[in-house]
Formats: sequence, C-alpha cells, structure tokens
Amino acid sequence: MKKLILCTCNKTLTKWLDFARIEKEVGSTFESIHIHDALCLEEGLTFLDAEVSKDDTVVIGACTSQIIGVPLAERLKSELVSYVPLREHVAWVHKDDQKGATNKALVLLNDAAIHVDFLEPQTAVDIEMEKKVLIVGGGIAGLKVASDLLQLGIEVTLLEPPEFNSKDYLEKNQFMADSSTLKGVVKDLKTTSKGVKKVCGTISKLSGRAGLYSVSLKRDNGKEEEILVGAIIIATNSEHSPPSIAKMCHYGKTNQTLLLSELSTLIAKQTAKESKTIFVTQDPSYHDSSVAGSYLLREVTYAAEKGNTVIVAHSDIHTKDENLYRAARKSGVIFIRGSLEKVSKKKKGLVCRLENTLESQVREFTVDYLVLQTQLKPWSGTRPLADTLGLNLDREGFIKTRYAKMKPVQTSKRGIFIAGNAKTPMNLNDALASASNASLEVFKNLIADGERKGWIPVVDEELCDLCDACVEACPNDALRHEGDLIKHIPMNCEFCGICVSACPTRAIEFQSHSKDSWLTRIESIATKHKKLEGQKPFSLVYACSECANASIDQAGFAGKGYPTGSYVIQFPCAGMVSPIEILKGLVVGAEKIIVAHCPPGGCHHQTGDHLSELVVKFTQDMLKSIGQDPSRVKATYMIAALPNKMQEEVAHRG
Amino acid sequence: MDKRIQLLDAIRAIAVKTPMNDVEVPESVVGFGTIEYKAQTCSACKKCILACEPAALDMEDTLNMHDYLRVTVPQEGFRSKNREVLVTLLQNLKQDHDYGDVQAISVPEGLPGYGSIVWSAEQCIACDKCIEACPEDCLTLQKTYKLPEIIGPIEAPPPRTEGKDWEPFIVCFVCWECSHAAADLAGLMHLHYPASIRTIRLPCSGALEPIHIMTAMANGADGVLVTGCLLSECHYGGDSPKAGNFMQEGFVKFWSDIFEEIGIGGRLNIDFASAAMGIKFAEIVETFTEQIRKLGPTPIQAKTEVQE
Ligand code: SF4
Ligand code: SF4
Ligand code: SF4
Ligand code: SF4
Repeated sequence: MKKLILCTCNKTLTKWLDFARIEKEVGSTFESIHIHDALCLEEGLTFLDAEVSKDDTVVIGACTSQIIGVPLAERLKSELVSYVPLREHVAWVHKDDQKGATNKALVLLNDAAIHVDFLEPQTAVDIEMEKKVLIVGGGIAGLKVASDLLQLGIEVTLLEPPEFNSKDYLEKNQFMADSSTLKGVVKDLKTTSKGVKKVCGTISKLSGRAGLYSVSLKRDNGKEEEILVGAIIIATNSEHSPPSIAKMCHYGKTNQTLLLSELSTLIAKQTAKESKTIFVTQDPSYHDSSVAGSYLLREVTYAAEKGNTVIVAHSDIHTKDENLYRAARKSGVIFIRGSLEKVSKKKKGLVCRLENTLESQVREFTVDYLVLQTQLKPWSGTRPLADTLGLNLDREGFIKTRYAKMKPVQTSKRGIFIAGNAKTPMNLNDALASASNASLEVFKNLIADGERKGWIPVVDEELCDLCDACVEACPNDALRHEGDLIKHIPMNCEFCGICVSACPTRAIEFQSHSKDSWLTRIESIATKHKKLEGQKPFSLVYACSECANASIDQAGFAGKGYPTGSYVIQFPCAGMVSPIEILKGLVVGAEKIIVAHCPPGGCHHQTGDHLSELVVKFTQDMLKSIGQDPSRVKATYMIAALPNKMQEEVAHRG
Repeated sequence: MDKRIQLLDAIRAIAVKTPMNDVEVPESVVGFGTIEYKAQTCSACKKCILACEPAALDMEDTLNMHDYLRVTVPQEGFRSKNREVLVTLLQNLKQDHDYGDVQAISVPEGLPGYGSIVWSAEQCIACDKCIEACPEDCLTLQKTYKLPEIIGPIEAPPPRTEGKDWEPFIVCFVCWECSHAAADLAGLMHLHYPASIRTIRLPCSGALEPIHIMTAMANGADGVLVTGCLLSECHYGGDSPKAGNFMQEGFVKFWSDIFEEIGIGGRLNIDFASAAMGIKFAEIVETFTEQIRKLGPTPIQAKTEVQE
C-alpha cells in the first residue's frame, strides 16, 4: 500500500500549510493518509511501528530527512520511503503565502508519490574484509598508526621504503618539534609499536578492492611477496630540499653555508665560549607554511640561546604559536625585513647583501655562517607510489585527501588512507593527531560488521557499447572494463550515480533513480504546478544530497524565505545530473534550472562539483547553438554555512 | 595501405586539372566509397576506430548539433535511449526548425561520453569493417568517391605543342586469353591497325591494377586501352559478376570518370573481343586511336621528359 504520513511538527506547521486541503486534494494518489503531530517522538514512532508494514511504500511529509530520517531508519519496516521536507523547504520559507505554500506541498507530495514507485530496496554489498593493515612509511605518523592499531588488535605490516633510514629520520623531522620532544616521542612509539612486522621494500602492484587489496611487495632483498590487506595507510614523510637561492649562496661550495636542518648539529658541536654570527634567510619564492615558520623560530632561538649573534632576514614568517616568536626576540635574535641580493666569499667571512625593498635600503653583513630555510617537499617516492596505487596528488605533490573537511584521512581511493606528513608538512602534534584519526577510521572500516547497503549502478550487457565513459567518469575505481564486460566493484562504490550521467546509451542505470524516473518526475512536477498555479513561473533546483541539500535545509532554519514555485529535486550527487535532465526541465517549461553542488573541491564524491559545472557549461553551449537563452541554466555551489544561497538563486527570477 | 597512397599519388601526378565533382562508384567496384556518419546515434565508443586498419577514422571532441536537430527519430527509436532523449529534447527546444546556422559545439575537456567521428576520405579503403563494428548503426557506405577532397588542388601544366609528325602512342593491356589471340589473329589476317600501339599481355583483364594505367599515362601514353574476353566469357570467372572482365569494366568506367575530372577525359577505354574476333579487335583499336587523335597528345608532362 502506498501511504502518506504527514507531521504538523507539534501543530506549528498548520500556521503556514493548509493540512485539510492537502488531505483532500492529495487524496486519490495514496491509499491512506495520516496526519500526526509529532512523528519524531516516541508516540509517533510507535504509531509508525503499527502503521507501516514491510510491503508498504511510504511518503513522509515532515521535517528534513536529515532529522526525521535518523530515527525512522531504525523504526520503519519498509525501505521504500521518500521524504518531503515540508518544514524546511516549504512552511518555513514561504511564511507569507499560505496558499502558495500549500500548492507547493501538493506538488512535492505528488512528486514523492511517483518517486516511491521507482524505489527499489538497497543492495547489500559484499563486505568481506581482510582485517590486516599495511602502513607505508615507518616515521612518526607510521609508528603512531602501527602502535594504535596494534592496541586495537589489528595485524599490521610496516613497509619501509628503501630510502628510509631510521637514523637520519630524526634529523629530517626536526621541523616537527624540538629535538628532545621528538626523541622522546619516537622512543615511546618504538616501544608501543613493538611486535609490528617490518618489511623493507616498495609496492610494485595493487589489485583487488577496498577491504580486500592484494599488494605486491618488492623487498630490498630481491624477494617478491604478495600480501592481502583490508586497508593501506600512507605515512610517508616530508623531505627538505635546498631553496632556489642555494646556488647564489654558494651552498655546497663552502661549509659556511648550510641548511636550516643542519644548523642544530652545528650548534651542538660548538664549544661553550665560541660565539658566531649567523645569518638566516628565507627564500622569497617559497610560500612559507606555519610549520616551516615555527621550525625556523625554534632553530634560531636555540642558536641565539647558545650565545651566537643571529640575524634573520625575512619577508614573512608564519606561525600558529606566538610564543615562539616572543622567545626568539627574548633570546636576542635580530629580525630584519629584506631579501638577500648577493653573497660574496671573503676572508673575514661571508658578505651578505640585503635589500629592503620597502625602504629601498641596502645593507651588508659579514657573517660566519649563512643558513638557508629549507623547502619542505613531499617524499621523493611519492609520485611513483601514487601512480602504483592510483592516488591523486595535490599541486605541491603531496597526496590529496578525498575531502579536506570531512574526510581528512581518506585518499581519493577507498580503502587507502593517509597520516602525517604524507598529506602536508605538519608539526608533531598535528601529525600524531592525524595518525590517530587514520587508525580510528581504518579500525571503524575493518570492524564494520553488519551490512553496507546502497543503490548501485547496474549494467545491461546487451545495451552496453563498452565505450568506457562510465569507467572514466567513476571517481572511485568502482567500474572496470574487463574483457567484454563492464564490471562493478560494489565495495569501492560510493553510490553517487556519476557513472550513469556519462553513459551515452543508457546501458547503465542507477537503482531507484533510473533515467525514466527523473524524466517522469520532472514532467509531473511541471504538470502539477501548472494545474495549481497556472502561468506562474517556476524553477527547478537539482540539488546534491550533501552540501546543497544542507544549505537549502538551512535556508529554512534561518528563515531565509524565497518565492514559491521553486522545487528542489534531490540527486545523490550533482555529478549525476546530465544534460538530459536539464533540457527536460526546460522543455516542461521551467524558467530556470539550477544545479546545486558542493563547493569547489568539496564534493563528497570527489568530482561531482566539477563534473556538474562541465555538464551545465556543455548544456549552455547546446542552448546557445539552438538560439535559446543559456542563462536559464546555472550551476552553483551551496553550503550549509551560506543559508541565503537558495534565496539568492531563486529570488530574482525572469 | 601504402598501396592506396601510391595510387593516389599516381593520380595526382597525371592530373592536369583540379577535380570539382565527386565521382560515382559503379556497383561492381569495391574499395572506394564514402563513409556517411550519423552523429545523433553515436555513443563515441570508438569501436569503429579500432576496427579501421588504415586509420581513416578518428574521434573529435565536438557534438554535431546540426545532425542532432535534423534527424527524424524513427518510430522504434534509437538503440541508444539516452541519445534519443537528448535529440528529442533539443528538437523540442528548437522551435523555429531553422537549422541552417546551427554549429557544432565542443565537448568540455574531462566530460566523458561525447564525441564525433571524423573520417578521412584519403585513407579509407571502403572495407566496411567500421560499419560491421558499429553497435549503433551510425555508419553507412555511400557509392561516391570524394575526389576533390582527396586529390586536392592541381596546378595545370603548360600546354603542349603538337609536333607535326605526332602519332598517338597508345598502351593496350590485353588479356592472355581471348584478346591476345584476337590481336594475333588480326595480325595474321593482315588487318590494318595503327602501329602506334604497344600491347602488354596480362593473365586476365581483371588482373590489371589501376597503378599500371596511371603509370602508362605518367610515362607519356596518349591513351590506355584495356581489352578482355567477351563479357560472360571470362576464362577465370565465366559469367559471374565477379569475373575479371566484369569487374574491370566497372573499374575502367570508374577510372575514366576520374580521368574526366582530372582533365584527361576520353583517354581510357575498355572493350571486349573473343579469340575469333580479329576484325572486331582491329576495329576497337582503330576507333580508340581515332578518338585519341582528335584529343591530341597527352597534356601530361611525361616523367621521362621531365627527367631530360
Ligand atoms: S560513479 Fe559512483 S555510483 Fe558509479 S560506480 Fe563509481 S562510485 Fe559507484
Ligand atoms: S558508459 Fe554505458 S555504454 Fe559505455 S561502457 Fe559504460 S555502460 Fe557501457
Ligand atoms: S570502410 Fe574500412 S577503411 Fe574506411 S573507415 Fe571504415 S574501416 Fe576504415
Ligand atoms: S560511429 Fe559507431 S562505432 Fe564509431 S564511435 Fe560511434 S557508435 Fe561507436
């Protein structure tokens, strides 16, 4: 039976919505209608227990599914449910137009009635997992992950790349904290991670899927080995590299010029009364991070405290810890703005010519040592490793996170995680925190018993041209062209539907969201709107179910009203929208189509924001070429933090 | 494939005029034609490209809007439903039905699933393999040969002055069987036929390759005559439509049309005589010589002359 259950939200919604009219007019679409006053409370839930059976299809008209969906997911016996956020998308945003709001509610409920007809039960995914983890890189983050996971009872293999040398590792990581802290931490981690299996070598091949990866290892002793793991954590380190001004500064030609990472060794060797003049300079072309800035301050303070005269030529020093700067001043470090123009080797020492561009002033210093701030770069083996594993890198060559805010330890590939400096140079605390995060995330994944469920794409072999468009589009390596088949790997799938938008033939369809379902729904929204509102213009918002939908919900909470005649259709991901749905919207008479996605780089499925922009641009080009106004179609991002986005987009219609 | 390029180069070498019209390909002639492409059903699957040995096909990042709008979607629809809907929606939005100035649009980089096939007339050997490979029925073979596109512009050679004692120099390809015997018979019968003719014996008229015709022309022949057994009497194919002489008739017709287009029309002919037809053979030669005499010497700068 198809059932409609409405909630008045403790009778508050009756102020803006005419429930009696809804009940009357929606009548024949559903076999039963119930209006409840508090579905989310225990009494409401008990009512649903009794009312809804396994075979019913249900439309819930209440608050946003983000709220009501949570308790209902556990209590509703049927999986075939469509939610209409009458509160956030209708009542709260059309407060001054009861008739219009009620009309809109009718349109949306009618749409949901069609939507549930297309719903299929979610597919349970095979979640067989190898409860073992491979860590690449046995530095601080790597050791931390290893000891965390060991404590959680997970079997860990630690792979150390051939370049790895535990002796100089401490030195290489000095930018993360002062050396005594560092030493202490490493010592502790070594104790707690005892028992981890260590292997020296590199990864030569990866196959399988998230949860069941088969990794081929090439060991330093020449042996090849294949291991099965459920997850991989990349915990490689950063490397120091000489800055671009190294050559000008005679780096490598004289032992009077050194890198910042070499400074502490030099100071440590100094005898008590031996005081030197040390000139430390930044590289103007290197964008300084707060990690590098803090490191610089720590080192110069140490050198000054040992009785040296320390001059720092800087353009900009970033640090999150003001105290470091204060300590440096206190220890007697001299800070001078300016950039190094020339360095000449003289008998009395190195003559450094400094130009202060702001005051067009030139000064010369004769010093014993010239110290260059190093650049922190990704580990040199990062690119080959990323290529083997199929990971994306960011602009600087560090491993890219899937989604910086919400998924900071996930990489672009499911089942592969990052910790510590593999992502970006970090100070000790951040690196340890990120390592703990990664181990928890991996642990959660590996012990996730129960089911992983979702609507998945299904390929019809008969219709498939093997064009590979879906394979190319899938951001998660969840579709593979094997022989004469396109194979879906459910464990890698994020249920985003992006693949479906790419298919030229319709050989691949997304469960519950077939092409026909979109086309039918778009058409019926238009028909119903015209029936109730006549000539009044309307717009359609194709919103992704993540950020954009949250932003539209927030518009409701924040009371950022907008005109009625604006209908939101929720897509799993904005990347699932193809030119077909957009053009269909225009054909049925929508004045404007807005494709709302997550902010740039913030798509929860990695590429949806970018792809939907491309699709909209492409559709606009089609419209231009047939003499239609391309501005009727727009792609834009919406986020919860900007609740007025919806208002801005649909307010000025026409 | 090199063979095709060689042949086209040979045609360019004997052309004295830029061809202006496409040439019809006779039914019996294989290996030449035009691949017609319907963009509106194409799924950009590249199967045709993989199938094409001479690499005559390629993929371009464009969408042919013109084809999309102009096509009539058949009753049963396209096999590719997404394309069908796209085409229908676009047609629906384009209400004025004026498709004249509709331009192709480019596909944004990074958007999979769209593209257009480009076909190169020059490389194509009309082997049909792409047509068999295409799952969406986008490709068909048309019996026309896009000569202007293939040959390109030709610079006319300086006109040649007719020497006083010029006699037509004709190369005659005769088949081993009937024609050669007919020529012999003509000789035995002391029938008079022009002396300016050089006969070259071939096993069968069907064995004559176009490059030989072009080579003869390039080397200063004023005309080329091909003779074979009477039609349906080919010693190698009888009355099958695949018999050598049948096929060659189609080919020679095709080549003469091409000769017409490249400015040397009338200088190629095919005819048939049985072993017993000495008189007929003499007549054939006579008529053709007369025709060439009227046309005058070949306008082609013979290779040998160029060398001198
Ligand atoms: S594109 Fe999305 S839905 Fe499709 S296979 Fe990949 S992850 Fe799954
Ligand atoms: S996009 Fe469609 S036709 Fe192409 S390979 Fe995937 S399922 Fe097959
Ligand atoms: S007919 Fe043959 S040569 Fe021509 S394009 Fe098709 S496959 Fe290539
Ligand atoms: S023409 Fe046919 S074979 Fe070639 S890309 Fe298009 S659909 Fe595929």
